[in-house]
Amino acid sequence: MSTALSAVALLAALAVATALFARRAHLLYRIVRLGKPTDRSGDLGRRTKAEATVVLGQRKLLQRIVPGLVHAFVFWGFIVLAPTIVMALLGAVDADWTFPWLGHQGWYFLLVDLFCVLVLVGVVSAFGIRKVQRPARFEGSHLREADVILGLIALIVTTLLGWHATQIALGLNEWPAGWSPVSDTLSGLFGDGETTEAFERAFVWLHVLTILVFLVYLPYSKHLHIATAGINVWFGRTRARGRLEPLDFEIEDESALRLGAGTLVDMTWKQMLDTMSCTECGRCQDVCPAWATGKDLSPKLLIMGLRDRLFAEGPAVLGGGEATALVPGAVTDEVVWDCVTCGACVHECPVSIEHVDHVVDLRRHLVMSESRFPTEAGTMLRDVGRSSNPWGKAQSERAAWADGLDVRVLEPGDPAPEILYWVGCAASFDERARATARATATLLLHAGLDVAILGPRESCTGDPARRMGDEFTFQEQARQNVGTLGDAGVTRIVTSCPHCFNTLGNEYGDFGGDYEVVHHTELLAELLADGRLQPPVGEEAITYHDSCYLARHNDVLAAPREIVSRIGRPLEMARSGKRTFCCGAGGAHMWMEERGSAINEERAREAAATGADTLAVACPFCTMMLDDGVKQTGGELRVADVAVLLAEALERV
Amino acid sequence: MTALVYLEQTDGAVDEPSLQAATMASSLGGGAEVHAVVAADTAALAPAGPLPVDAVQVAVHEAFGSYAPLAVAEAVVELAGRLGATCVVGPGTERGNEVLAHVAALLDLPLAANCVAVADGGVTRVRWGGSLLEEARVDAPTLLLTVQPHAVAAEPGAGDPPSVETFTPTLSDAALALRVVERVGAATGGVSLADARVVVSGGRGAGSEEGFAPIEELAELLEAAVGCSRAVTMAGWRPHTDQVGQTGTKIAPEIYIACGISGATQHMAGCKGAKRILAINADREAPILQSADYAVIGDLHEVVPAISAAIRAARSG
Repeated sequence: MSTALSAVALLAALAVATALFARRAHLLYRIVRLGKPTDRSGDLGRRTKAEATVVLGQRKLLQRIVPGLVHAFVFWGFIVLAPTIVMALLGAVDADWTFPWLGHQGWYFLLVDLFCVLVLVGVVSAFGIRKVQRPARFEGSHLREADVILGLIALIVTTLLGWHATQIALGLNEWPAGWSPVSDTLSGLFGDGETTEAFERAFVWLHVLTILVFLVYLPYSKHLHIATAGINVWFGRTRARGRLEPLDFEIEDESALRLGAGTLVDMTWKQMLDTMSCTECGRCQDVCPAWATGKDLSPKLLIMGLRDRLFAEGPAVLGGGEATALVPGAVTDEVVWDCVTCGACVHECPVSIEHVDHVVDLRRHLVMSESRFPTEAGTMLRDVGRSSNPWGKAQSERAAWADGLDVRVLEPGDPAPEILYWVGCAASFDERARATARATATLLLHAGLDVAILGPRESCTGDPARRMGDEFTFQEQARQNVGTLGDAGVTRIVTSCPHCFNTLGNEYGDFGGDYEVVHHTELLAELLADGRLQPPVGEEAITYHDSCYLARHNDVLAAPREIVSRIGRPLEMARSGKRTFCCGAGGAHMWMEERGSAINEERAREAAATGADTLAVACPFCTMMLDDGVKQTGGELRVADVAVLLAEALERV
Repeated sequence: MTALVYLEQTDGAVDEPSLQAATMASSLGGGAEVHAVVAADTAALAPAGPLPVDAVQVAVHEAFGSYAPLAVAEAVVELAGRLGATCVVGPGTERGNEVLAHVAALLDLPLAANCVAVADGGVTRVRWGGSLLEEARVDAPTLLLTVQPHAVAAEPGAGDPPSVETFTPTLSDAALALRVVERVGAATGGVSLADARVVVSGGRGAGSEEGFAPIEELAELLEAAVGCSRAVTMAGWRPHTDQVGQTGTKIAPEIYIACGISGATQHMAGCKGAKRILAINADREAPILQSADYAVIGDLHEVVPAISAAIRAARSG
């Protein structure tokens, strides 16, 4: 074939492939543009860092070392080999053409050979994982699509090696063949006659055409993530992970009032991009406590359900059609309510999908537009609004736990304390959790801190209502509490409850409440470090359970461990730190009936497996759930808050 | 202008929420003629006595002898079409809402459920489990609504009883697909947990499903309802309908006897209406002792049978 003919054929193939790709890409772009606004501007430093670590560094993927390396080989190979695409396009037109400069660099062709091998190792291992190991995380994923993609990648790389080998055999290589150990060795298979010339043409054309097929196939398959993941990571959340985006009820234009996600047009553009970035790897499903205990929710299937609905209805909606309800059309009611908002899925996701935000938006619509939620949770919503606590207890009893302790109750007009102890509803009213409040207050007073409580003026932060989707009740609580705290002149807060900690510290800022908020474990660890608390060394075997809202959502990992290691012998559970496993109470599940097997029992068994005597916690809800879990599983572990253990240790002095 | 109101009956008498729905329908104004429709498996079950409606139509079909919401809805739709009704009203009961929801689906029209007032095509209705009243405008050629029970006082209707006619609706096969195969009474033997004057509950301390035998025995002696804690339903020893607590049944008995229940906050939130609490628990530290008026520290498997024996002895003596 002459150079001119080859050029025409190549341009025609390129034009067809680009047109098919662009047509699909344009449709997807228009669908994303349908999405509601969400502010993902600014924070360029953090976004750049996320691209560098999460995308280039494959940080999330490498949390699982074997499949992580498999992916990293292919991904890094894709980057290293990208210039060879241009070289192949040039070479397809004329066997003598080559890429200026880079086409002559031996070191580059060493890299190419190396990464061709690594990509092949990656592809073969990926097949091994999928066909032999068959991990449960792939349940429900489109496995055949992955086979096609892996096959195409293998073909692209082998044709590249074949092309380079035949080039070397024919002396067409413009780089020193010695730098290409693999291609050079393979070149021994070929002579320098016409057959090899034909092979050289066949390899380069097969290589180019496979790349074009790959390009066209991409946007129609789940491997769209190759194009979208980097963008999705860039636009990922940069503010506190535990913070939910508030809804604006005061908005002037009532038609722009957004009450969560009812149909696809209510989703934000980021949520739409999320669904297009999912490649069904199932890492989220693998860590989901709901899925692990036999419930309907899988974060992966949730995102896939939303994506399928987006692709099914999006084109019609662009044409002026009506979108239908996401629940139960795309996902069922059960799926929406199974979530404990623990964020394990978000933490695991290699492409920055924000599953919890999807769930909360679906809940917001169900609760606020349709009054549709598990009936048993209705009492909690009502009591948060009416009684200022989720159990409908009398506010006058809020400070009853402090009877006999010398804790100052802040009356209106009193001078602001150095630090306000925000007790939280659970530690104020629940008998088991009250022990935490007593211990914390005792320790802080013992260390000589000027600490006070609000007593009956403290009201539920609104967290359980917000995680249920009742944003309206939450914002009422937020405004009331911000008012109370402002009037009292509070600037520094210590709290026992990770949920209050998250809400006060990360969410009240949206309502004008800016405080320095610390968790009691942080403050107590500080007092230990300063020597203001000096417990004796203990020998008790203690395993510490990380609360999701403390560890994963707010990075408080070290402080509780410092306390535990001072008073006992620490033992880690299999799932700990930021990869902790929920107690089962999050996302307002404290006030819902659990379907399937119990999350708290699963966690209690895991704690027992460490052989510890004591299960230390730092959250009143974890205290209640895990204490129940231990009893339900017939365990012997004692469940106690870190503060309680520290106070007991000090009493032994 | 014609309004059609769907009435539910029990043993030939129109239910109170249905009378309230009829009252609201008759108050729509504008000289509307109000027709009522009841569904029965025999014409003999036509409602007797005065009603706040102008005419009663009895849809007669053997399917109406048992639970058949879609079949009833088809009959309502057929009659509404024949009358040219501009408004269809039903009681805001579980079944009334279900029938009207089917009517709405058949007509492809919106339904305003649990309304407390209607005026000029706008409705006021109860949302968020009663914590919010919503004012809504219904954009539909036929207004479909259900009336929140106890939102209006039922008026019996003045003058002569309305005329009564019967008709046989044409029902689709789909409507007849749903049949009641069997009826099973509620597991608890009679006394309803929510209304019981005495409740005897068991918790994890009961130890097993069989461990409830002494609790059931005491409940029978006291004509009490049997309850349980969440731990018990989680363990599968008792059905969720027996669960006392914030996420179960809320009770308000004269006396609540809690056996082997630690007294988690969620449980106590469900029994805070109890006038007196007697806790029987082996654990002196159990939180329930903070709320109990009386307590026996001991194993329920010894204490409860002893109480039963004492009651028997006192009664026979």
